[in-house]
Amino acid sequence: MASTTAGHLSGHAAVRARYNDVDPVYREVRELRLFGFVLFLLSDCILFGSLIFAYIYLRLSAPVWPPYLAGHQLQWFDTSFAAFNSVVLFGSGVTMHFALENWKHLHREKFFGWLIATIALGLAFLGGQAHEWAGVLRDGITWSNTTMGSSFYCLTGLHGLHVFIGTVFLAILGLQAKYGVYTGSKYQGLVAGTLYWHFVDVIWVFLFTLFYLW
Amino acid sequence: MIALVGAIIVGLVAFVQLKNDWGAQGLDASVTKVLLGLMAVGCVLVLFASINVLGYRG
Repeated sequence: MASTTAGHLSGHAAVRARYNDVDPVYREVRELRLFGFVLFLLSDCILFGSLIFAYIYLRLSAPVWPPYLAGHQLQWFDTSFAAFNSVVLFGSGVTMHFALENWKHLHREKFFGWLIATIALGLAFLGGQAHEWAGVLRDGITWSNTTMGSSFYCLTGLHGLHVFIGTVFLAILGLQAKYGVYTGSKYQGLVAGTLYWHFVDVIWVFLFTLFYLW
Repeated sequence: MIALVGAIIVGLVAFVQLKNDWGAQGLDASVTKVLLGLMAVGCVLVLFASINVLGYRG
């Protein structure tokens, strides 16, 4: 039915026609579920926002930054590797966007390719974060010995947890797509997954700026 | 160098996707536009960091 309605259209118009070619009750429920998911993302913004403002407060109220540890001033976090790792994560945002677009345009094979690329880049980012943590630990910065360390591990750890949950989320969505849960007009889970993935990308923009550029 | 090239490519792609989706309607499209825009800004920041304009070198 969707294909007949959208058959004479092309591009975004066809996608929109297919998207709206559903039962009115389902459409209403879909909009409410989407709104609920956006509210969830906003609540996560508040969580990260409170921790980010705590970090800003600690940093601005410190007499000197980076703080001293055992008589020596700590080094700034190295930007080079973080910049590379950021590109990996932002790249995964682009691949996830392509995945959703391909699903909307009924290109199933390409969808799975882009989704797998997204998961792989997400895992690569987590590997990069583990490498970063190991380097910071080698520099003597631990969770408990400085406010710099506790802020860094808390915020990047919470973000890393979100990325990990996101990769599991995307893997489940991939399995659901494979087993026919989603169609050309009903793919709300994929939209939610894409929004979530973009959200973790954007949170990283703020963390990268705070820890590596400021 | 990889970060520089990557930031340019990813930033351009994000910008083009944002431009393509600019006319899209709906809550999901609006949120996606905001998030893609911020991601493009992130790519610009990474670009400046990779050419030593911003950030610190260990």
